[in-house]
Amino acid sequence: MINTYKMEKYKYLIKASFDDFRRNKIRTLLTSLGIMVGVLSVVLLIALGLGLKNYIQGQFESLGANLLIIFPGNVFSEGSGAGGNFGAGFAGGASFDEKDVRTLSKVPDVNYVVPMFMKSLNFETGKEKAVGYVMGTSEDVFNLLNLEIMEGREFSKSDVLGKSKKAVLGQTLAEDLFFDPKSAVGKTIKANDQRYQIIGVVKKKGDREMDGSAFVPYTATFGNINPDKTFFTIYLGASSEKTIQTVKVAAKEALLKRYEEDDFSVTEQSQILSSINQIFAIINTILIAIGSISLFVGGIGIMNIMYATVTERTKEIGIRRAIGATEKDILVQFLSESIILSLLGGIVGLILSALIVAIIRIFFPASLNLIAILVALVVSSAIGIIFGVFPAKRAASLSPIEAIRYE
Amino acid sequence: MIKLQNVYKTYTLGDDEVKAVDNASLIIKKGEYVSILGTSGSGKSTLMHIIGLLDKPTSGKFEVNGKNILSFSDDQISRFRNTYVGFVFQQFNLINKLTVLENVALPAMYFKGKLDFDPTKRAEELLIKFGMGKRLNFYPNKISGGQQQRVAIARSLIMKPELILADEPTGNLDSKTGDEILDILEDLNKKIGVTVVLVTHEKNVADRTNRKIYIRDGKIVDKYL
Repeated sequence: MINTYKMEKYKYLIKASFDDFRRNKIRTLLTSLGIMVGVLSVVLLIALGLGLKNYIQGQFESLGANLLIIFPGNVFSEGSGAGGNFGAGFAGGASFDEKDVRTLSKVPDVNYVVPMFMKSLNFETGKEKAVGYVMGTSEDVFNLLNLEIMEGREFSKSDVLGKSKKAVLGQTLAEDLFFDPKSAVGKTIKANDQRYQIIGVVKKKGDREMDGSAFVPYTATFGNINPDKTFFTIYLGASSEKTIQTVKVAAKEALLKRYEEDDFSVTEQSQILSSINQIFAIINTILIAIGSISLFVGGIGIMNIMYATVTERTKEIGIRRAIGATEKDILVQFLSESIILSLLGGIVGLILSALIVAIIRIFFPASLNLIAILVALVVSSAIGIIFGVFPAKRAASLSPIEAIRYE
Repeated sequence: MIKLQNVYKTYTLGDDEVKAVDNASLIIKKGEYVSILGTSGSGKSTLMHIIGLLDKPTSGKFEVNGKNILSFSDDQISRFRNTYVGFVFQQFNLINKLTVLENVALPAMYFKGKLDFDPTKRAEELLIKFGMGKRLNFYPNKISGGQQQRVAIARSLIMKPELILADEPTGNLDSKTGDEILDILEDLNKKIGVTVVLVTHEKNVADRTNRKIYIRDGKIVDKYL
């Protein structure tokens, strides 16, 4: 029975708050608008940050666990982490060439070595033009990136050895140039005045870069497209997950004969993933901090309005005190009003961000997660408490007799 | 029983110290019908506020039913205001955004514990008793002053108080309506034995009560001037 009495009280408090909101519709709307925008920005920024992280993570995960990636500079090497060396790593360091590929092929337990040269270029057929990437690589790339042939065939080892100007197109590039991707096979495209014969088309992977690429034997890019005959990265496939550590050490030793310690890094997929996690932890923190500024401003809006409300309702507070309301009763009344106000803003902001995320997902893999939702709700009610407590305290501390005389 | 002993209430206005209540001592017994009579500025309202626990005296003793009220915490004082005393003000002091019925039932919302009555039902009964049965869902600013004062009386009674403090209850009413209000207060005193303290500056209003306490310049005096 005591519980029903308490329930009645809460019901009364909530009803009283909503009665006040109804009387001051515009004020209520404007006040919670601040919180709404704050929650909206925080949730959206988290959604975008997480989406980006999941996207990039997914890219690396799809490469498989047996994979080692060799980058120039000490990008992901142990100890450097996601810290200050990250940007610097890409800038300097080694430029790998065919000699390195041969060296790495001799490392025991290496199943395949896939060098990767990448350049953004204009592709032309007789009629159409499109921008895409040339990927100068070896025949194992199809295996490495799990590319599935849709039409035609992959290029082979002999194509690489024979420096043949053959290309396998990503589905998007093929569609851009030929409309029907299947019709592309057998035709030729021009890139940098070099003519390549299209021998196959691979199915869409959902990766804009990959789907818009032309995979060609790296030997065919030498000279014109890739005059330095260098590679940006080299992928190493270890024979199994067990050998990956020994391959890593051996590959490093092999390259150290030619390069300095800091000129390159041999990285496992898991290392990259943890680096990505670290980087995004920082990015997300910054995004949340930026979003929080608007939440903070929204909170000040609530505080402002609650102070005004306290002044406006001084007499009412006096009357309530005269008929038996304690200081705590008044405090709770005003506090619950500011909490409900900011929670309302939070919920509306959340619904709006869910809608916006749903729209963004068409173009970008944004994801709304439970944590973001909970954080938004907890934060908006916390703001209601934090920014509501000062006005509420003032209301509670009014002397009953002065309050009741207030006109 | 209310007992005030050597009670002072002083305010500082600039450099001056104003004694709103100056060494007041008085006893009001349970069931009495008393008036506090004084001119405007005599300190009668301050005295009433002290008796009604809305204001604290600067010094002196104040006991209600043998309890030293001045040592009470806010929670205790609030409970006292809630259950022991009912106020009737000159300005009615109803909450305009609540209906007549909600206004009357409101004190019950602030009672910490289990009530031995249904507040809405009791509020309705009281309002019917004072002829407001057809105005239950009206808002206070939509009814006349006399009606508002009836609502205020109903509100003062909802928690079954021992004491009703009426501060110039007829001050904002015409004489006929004022008389009706005074009839109600007198009736309550007679029929349910509630102590009624009537604060007024009108001698003819005070004349209706059984005892008159005169106050002048904050002091309780023997005669009204």
